[in-house]
Amino acid sequence: MIQDSVLGPHKEIITARATDKKILNKSQDGGIITAILVYALEKNIIDGTIVAGDSQEAWKPEPIVATTKKEILKAAGTKYTMCPNLAMIKEATRRYGLEKIGTVGTPCQVMGLRKMQAYPMGLRNVMDKVALVTGIYCMENFPYDSLKAFIQDKAGTVPEKVTKMDISKGKLFIKTADNETAIPIKQTHGYEQSGCKYCMDYVAELSDFSCGSVGAKPGWSTVIKRTEKGTSIIDSAIEDGILEVTETNEGKFGLEMLRKLSTNKKKQRVKNVDKALTMGLEVPFTRSDLKEDILENR
Amino acid sequence: MSKTITISPTSRQEGHATLSLEVDDQGIVTTGRYYSITPVRGIEKMVIGKRPETAPVLVQRICGVCPVTHTLASVEAIDDSLKIDVPKTGKILREMCLNAHMINSHAIHQFLIAPDFVPEQDYTQVVKNVSEIRKQAQYVEDVIGGEGIHPSDIRIGGMAHNITKNTKNKIKTRITGLKGLLEKHVEQMAEYIEQKEFPDNLGNHAQPVLATSNTYGSRQNINLQSIQEIMPSSWYTDKYTEQENEEFAEETKKTAKKIGKTACSQIPLYEDTPVETGPRARADKFRKFKDRGVKAQHLARAQEMLNAADRILELVDKIDPSAQTMAKYNLNGTDRLGVGVIEGPRGTNLHTVKISPEGYITDYNAIVPTTWNIPTMGMATEGTHYEYAPDVIRAYDPCLSCATHMIVVDDESKEVLKEDMVQL
Repeated sequence: MIQDSVLGPHKEIITARATDKKILNKSQDGGIITAILVYALEKNIIDGTIVAGDSQEAWKPEPIVATTKKEILKAAGTKYTMCPNLAMIKEATRRYGLEKIGTVGTPCQVMGLRKMQAYPMGLRNVMDKVALVTGIYCMENFPYDSLKAFIQDKAGTVPEKVTKMDISKGKLFIKTADNETAIPIKQTHGYEQSGCKYCMDYVAELSDFSCGSVGAKPGWSTVIKRTEKGTSIIDSAIEDGILEVTETNEGKFGLEMLRKLSTNKKKQRVKNVDKALTMGLEVPFTRSDLKEDILENR
Repeated sequence: MSKTITISPTSRQEGHATLSLEVDDQGIVTTGRYYSITPVRGIEKMVIGKRPETAPVLVQRICGVCPVTHTLASVEAIDDSLKIDVPKTGKILREMCLNAHMINSHAIHQFLIAPDFVPEQDYTQVVKNVSEIRKQAQYVEDVIGGEGIHPSDIRIGGMAHNITKNTKNKIKTRITGLKGLLEKHVEQMAEYIEQKEFPDNLGNHAQPVLATSNTYGSRQNINLQSIQEIMPSSWYTDKYTEQENEEFAEETKKTAKKIGKTACSQIPLYEDTPVETGPRARADKFRKFKDRGVKAQHLARAQEMLNAADRILELVDKIDPSAQTMAKYNLNGTDRLGVGVIEGPRGTNLHTVKISPEGYITDYNAIVPTTWNIPTMGMATEGTHYEYAPDVIRAYDPCLSCATHMIVVDDESKEVLKEDMVQL
């Protein structure tokens, strides 16, 4: 295990993508999460998962318990707003009767999930049924109203007409059938949810494995293998041809970029944490002067 | 000669109780008095003035051993008071949850009595079986009731939600799988019970049995007019001292009076006499099981686990995962007396409620299984040696925290201020 305060503890970093064309078409980048969840379901490693499914409103996700490949595929792709997946976790073990749950989460959700495992208050016979924790990279997240503001005010369209959203190269792209708007990330500041101001985690450091597009060429994902469980599932998926691997770019637009973004996030947030703690606010992170390494996620 | 033997508290049961026995020269019990000394929590009073939805949530806290039973009795009573017609699937889910709880609760009791019956070399294996049985039963309680200990999904009007097809299949597989183990376990327990050397008439009594249904509970099979609740002070003094040896009349009278004041439960009578309720009572009424006494009670309890498993398998096929499980209802009542009767692991659990036209609870009363059994348990110890009395008590699997009531006594003068039971 490599102890790394920037990218969290990990075993290995690879660049990969799903081999299934159907998954690649639907997914955000390399389709890793979708492919692995489907693979785990077929291999009986999990018997269901909680995904960000569609709700009544366009682009407003709703946590859904998926127990088939079809349901997982339907939820593929990133939605740039919050989806309270963990709210469904108890329900998944009850009405849905799941015993091996696979979960997907942003870094904050993964932190929450690990905390639920450590302190299972009101979660009797729930947390022992979590079989796989997958994480996605996240710089910050937007409440649905912020997302609507971008779509309506900046892109001049309505959520129903948007076909894909993507954040890359410092811009938020909003695509409709006949148009594409790029909003510089700088202009989105102030719209993110307030909790993100104090988040010290960019790459879901507590997950079994995490992945995201940063550091990989378009259509591929950077996968960080972390725990024994996460490593073995990625390795066997590669062996079974579910994922294909390409050379990892260690350079400026590869892992260096990933490290740079993570460091930037942490450096900026640590200031907010210190400021909040000085004001006497409750923030679940430690003051920077009490840490050996200020980038540590704790 | 006669002397009094007191066992306090009695062990391996839920709650605290005292066993006071008058014995003759040979040590044979002539008069047995069993009474609860568990402190009162006042839950029946707590729900008054509250919205009906509060009642199931509060009364399930009466006891951590059978919360499912109390929740069900409470929602059934409220459903009855508000005249709510629960959808078919809702009813099926409720019954399945109760039967899973039955298996779970009986398994715990087998763990409690294991030191009495199970030979040392088999002990670990029996306890392991009990754990496995409970695990499977709790899974069913979890998925249907939402929570194994305090079920959150049993609601007024039905069940909060249905189960999925997937869950339905899982329940079926699990309970079918469990049946093999259950059969083995029950057979084994029956053998140990049979081999145990007990006096032949141990636990025999002449009291009638009370049971309303084989697997769920039915308000049609109980007549509220036949129920009478009397004060422990009059029960423990009047009923017994007449029969006592004159020589010791004064002393026994004193003991009886003291018990009457200490006892924390009312004495319910059905058709003017105490009754036995529980697995043997149900087996007697619905399963053609006519044996009496301690061994018969243990045997009936063990066999009831199989009965419950069969019922779950029978019901699970009837579930339509897409059906409605909740009825629409209006909380405004008519002050009608609603009755909820549930056959819990330890017997007939009766809750009654009244809801005002404004939609608040105005009256709540619970007569729980162990309350029924308390006077009978004392009687059942009579006629055999006092050494066996704790075995008789254990055969009823008493759960006393449910059965607690109190009177109001002046702290200084020790005088009874309110000869009326302040309820549980």
